[in-house]
Amino acid sequence: MELFSEYFKKDTLFSRIDARVKLLAAMVLLAMVLSYKGFAFPLLMALLCLFFCIKMRIPLRVFILRFSEPLFIAAVVLLLKFLFSGEEVLFSINIMGARITGHKDGLMDGLQIASRIWGAVSVVAVLGLSTPFNEFMAGLSWLRVPKGFIEILMFAYRYIFVLFEDAMVIYNSQKNRLGYSNVRRGLSSFGVLAGSLTLKALEHSQNVTVAMVQRGYDGNMPILKHKPFRASEILFSALFLIVMGFAWSI
Amino acid sequence: MKIQTLKIRIQVFIPVLFGCFLFARNAYAMHISEGILPWNWAALWFAVAAPFVAYGLYRLKKLSNTDLSFKPLVGLMAAVVFIISCMPIPVPTAGTCSHPCGTGMSGILLGPTISVLVTAVALLIQALFLAHGGLSTWGADIVSMGVMGSFAGFLTFRALRAIKINIPIAGFMAGLLADWATYITTSVELASGIKGDSPFMPLFWKILIAFIPTQLPLGILEGAMTAGMVVLLYKKRPDLLVKMRVLKPEEVAA
Repeated sequence: MELFSEYFKKDTLFSRIDARVKLLAAMVLLAMVLSYKGFAFPLLMALLCLFFCIKMRIPLRVFILRFSEPLFIAAVVLLLKFLFSGEEVLFSINIMGARITGHKDGLMDGLQIASRIWGAVSVVAVLGLSTPFNEFMAGLSWLRVPKGFIEILMFAYRYIFVLFEDAMVIYNSQKNRLGYSNVRRGLSSFGVLAGSLTLKALEHSQNVTVAMVQRGYDGNMPILKHKPFRASEILFSALFLIVMGFAWSI
Repeated sequence: MKIQTLKIRIQVFIPVLFGCFLFARNAYAMHISEGILPWNWAALWFAVAAPFVAYGLYRLKKLSNTDLSFKPLVGLMAAVVFIISCMPIPVPTAGTCSHPCGTGMSGILLGPTISVLVTAVALLIQALFLAHGGLSTWGADIVSMGVMGSFAGFLTFRALRAIKINIPIAGFMAGLLADWATYITTSVELASGIKGDSPFMPLFWKILIAFIPTQLPLGILEGAMTAGMVVLLYKKRPDLLVKMRVLKPEEVAA
């Protein structure tokens, strides 16, 4: 399983910016993209984020893989709105007795939604690609997200990889024994896989608790503390958001 | 007559085909993509999800005060839900791969309020590090997968066990209904979010029909998975099911 955090590179400009600044900027930009009436601003954001990803030396394969699903959804929503929604007819053709009608207002609505998806996904992707998980958690803590929630996030993130390896071992072993040779056996095997994974999770949780208690765990996990804000980062981010705000208002 | 039938078939086929592409291609069918909802709808679903997440956190704090292993357990269950909802499973009727959501399962094991929290955590990691779902649609995804999925799974399992239905069938129905409850809620959220000035109901039905090719078999898969999980735990570690209040001690003894 490849998460964005695997492609994180320390030595880029975006990686060095404080996670709190990036989180706040991403939230403001997301709000701008979602509230924009039209498609120019979200497309501008998408192109800017693409440029940022290139600057962060993200492999093209990762980029295409991660964006394929939301972009495909964007394209189909555009088609759905174009063909099935709206009143102002752009064209109308007969295919085997069925009338296919394209609507101008549907097309505009569809373009707006599709560009919003592309723009918003791009903003979140840049945030995910440029922020390591522990800094992200510290950022959430600074934003006063409840500590219990952050602790669960940290446990989950740590054990995703452990449990995923366990799941792959069980899955491959089932596959080698024809566990997925037909639908009936496949359903049964998948049930066993889910059950085994749950059992593993329960066992891991007991073991990790014992290990942590021996190291002084009292029910609270320490969370990374941030360095003080750097004035240059705040100034640069504020300037960037002002320029984006100006572009949004046009 | 033939032309009329053909017309009807094409009119049904086209939306279903689009729907198959939209929701079945690599179906992270339960996740509403980033940016698809306008800000007002996104905010509304956040407001709906917030009390459930807050209550889940309150329960977590209360339970972890008495049991230090509870937080690690919830974190690991979130990891299980994350992995299960990333597992590609072939769906023969749709000719594609699809993914269960696992919230019915966590609803049965941890209870619906903690399961909402588990789903919220899994969804946040997926949105940030896999581009599945999104930050702006996090609230909507929590409501459909976490709230509806967990409560439907939990209530179905408890209701069926109360009338003495056996464990595999109760587990199967819990998984099935959890999946379908999620799918209906996702359809409501999508239709309300993208309808614009068009009426809600026609778009809702179109989306609901479009989901059918994957969600019908996927519901069965989710049911089989949930039943398999409960049966395996019942056979190997019945004490855990009692500890987690899934079954009563006398049910295990019998």
